[in-house]
Amino acid sequence: MDASLDTIRHQMVQLLPRLRRFAIALTGSAADGDDLVQDTVERALKNLHAWEPGTRLDSWMFRIAKNRFIDTRRSARRGRVEPIEAAEESTALDGERAMQSHLAFQDTAKALQSLPVEQRQAVALVLVDGLSYREAADILEIPIGTLTSRISRAREALMTALEG
Amino acid sequence: MDRETLNAFVDGELTPQEMARIAALIETQPDMKAYVLKQEKLRSALRLEEVMRTPPSSRLVEIVQKAPVSWRWRLQAVLGRRFVVRSLIPAGAALLAGLIIGVISGSGSDLVLAHGRMLARGNLAQTLNTRLASTGYSGEGPRIGISFRERAGNNCRTFTTDNQAGLACHRGGDWVVTTLVAQSPETGGSYRMAGSEMPDAVRRAVEATIQGAPFDAKAEAKAQANGWAGR
Repeated sequence: MDASLDTIRHQMVQLLPRLRRFAIALTGSAADGDDLVQDTVERALKNLHAWEPGTRLDSWMFRIAKNRFIDTRRSARRGRVEPIEAAEESTALDGERAMQSHLAFQDTAKALQSLPVEQRQAVALVLVDGLSYREAADILEIPIGTLTSRISRAREALMTALEG
Repeated sequence: MDRETLNAFVDGELTPQEMARIAALIETQPDMKAYVLKQEKLRSALRLEEVMRTPPSSRLVEIVQKAPVSWRWRLQAVLGRRFVVRSLIPAGAALLAGLIIGVISGSGSDLVLAHGRMLARGNLAQTLNTRLASTGYSGEGPRIGISFRERAGNNCRTFTTDNQAGLACHRGGDWVVTTLVAQSPETGGSYRMAGSEMPDAVRRAVEATIQGAPFDAKAEAKAQANGWAGR
């Protein structure tokens, strides 16, 4: 009966790989990334009335993911030791699968984790997902100049980390 | 050439003219070219292609397909977005204004006035009693929009006919029509088609009285099984 809802859910399924990649870039592990994606999807559907039809669903969901990530970190810091930061050590993609080929991924994920959160978010949107500066600045709700300087600083740090 | 400009070049963020100018320039500047190549390599390393190649778990897909949707969204889908977003609160007065709007015309025998109340009879009462919105519209007779519990505890349903749209609540064994709006046959036709448009007076009446979310298919069927009796 809800044809439009089916369409939206379908679009969300299509978005899952990008959302996962974004979430993994933020959290540093596939497991934490999947948790963040699940949280994001549930929240998006629960607040679907806040999404303006005709506007971009991907931007809206990235923003939710970004906010959930920040909130989770905040509550994790208030509470006990939570796995977000610790996940850095156990970076792995879907556990058992071909560990060998994941070494490069692990290096990349680890380098991302070494960035301050603000820089990591900017990198995850622009360099990882490939969004434009404008789109990324809108999602992060920051001026475009702030975004470009974060990206520049992050680049320096990433070059050092990945070359070193 | 500052690094931010080169970065913007790598990210494809410059105007076409600037892109072309720098592309030509770096061919003459080995340092700049080395920097750009390194940045391009960094970008491709950061694409995390492996993640993109890994299908999302079936659990995640299932969550997308099954996780509950905001009831306000469903209400918007039925009533039309503009209204719900704009005014969830100032609808009380509208309910009074909407008590009877429009003209009772056509299907006269479907509505009777009794003790100052307008009651559904005939085909309309039959539809309100028996038809489930969740099973879709058969194309015949009045059409049910949404069903819900009003704050006073009664079960209510919106409906449209060829020339009317309204809201009826089940009170004391009768369907009391609390809001009725006349509409032209043309609009009536489109109501049947889309089922997503409803006159403002009806929308406001729903908003003013609804308790919680509209019924889903299960709650609707349950209310029907209980003869639409309220709390």
